[in-house]
Amino acid sequence: MAERPEDLNLPNAVITRIIKEALPDGVNISKEARSAISRAASVFVLYATSCANNFAMKGKRKTLNASDVLSAMEEMEFQRFVTPLKEALEAYRREQKGKKEASEQKKKDKDKKTDSEDQDKSRDEDNDEDEERLEEEEQNEEEELDN
Amino acid sequence: MAAAAAAAAAAGSGTPREEEGPGGEAAAPQPQAPTSAPGARLSRLPLARVKALVKADPDVTLAGQEAIFILARAAELFVETIAKDAYCCAQQGKRKTLQRRDLDNAIEAVDEFAFLEGTLD
Repeated sequence: MAERPEDLNLPNAVITRIIKEALPDGVNISKEARSAISRAASVFVLYATSCANNFAMKGKRKTLNASDVLSAMEEMEFQRFVTPLKEALEAYRREQKGKKEASEQKKKDKDKKTDSEDQDKSRDEDNDEDEERLEEEEQNEEEELDN
Repeated sequence: MAAAAAAAAAAGSGTPREEEGPGGEAAAPQPQAPTSAPGARLSRLPLARVKALVKADPDVTLAGQEAIFILARAAELFVETIAKDAYCCAQQGKRKTLQRRDLDNAIEAVDEFAFLEGTLD
């Protein structure tokens, strides 16, 4: 399908939005320029990946991690990205942690709920038996009274 | 009595609680909602596409989710940077529309963009 990796483009709409927000109001961008920037972004990711991979291999690791990417940025002379990226990483980690805790909490709540419902069910059954016995006793009392 | 017990059972086991999103682990291609602090806005680029690019590299075995996220964010910063640099060229020409040639000029002028030479054609 994709002839070359660079053809794996990032969505145009998002690229356009990023560009427009970076530029002052009233500035437009031609279609050719926008698609060239989109392509450049793909090339950037590929190049950064390759650089990051070198760091991972140096560390004898098979999985790229965040610090590999940050090292790659410095290597590529994009040091100015490092600080904002570190901040973004912190925020991302906090969000992931929050999400994980939220889903664990939901799961805990779900388990708790099904447990308590089971208890309710058995309690109801006991009550039924009690009520039946009570009725029999009442009937007996009535009979006695009649006599 | 029997009816009440049956109703309780139905409510309990019938419909599942809120369905959780398909795998919190997998990178879902949804745009992240912006948080209140502008600096802490998380990536807008879909992580799935970035992951596809990363996997296109034959030397890469695996990439952690954090790595993918940072790459996405870095790509965003890159787009902002190159757009602004290209705009400087357009401004000099007193134009309000960024053209392809502005981009080419920026790539030639800025050292960090040297890796792009020859890749955009």
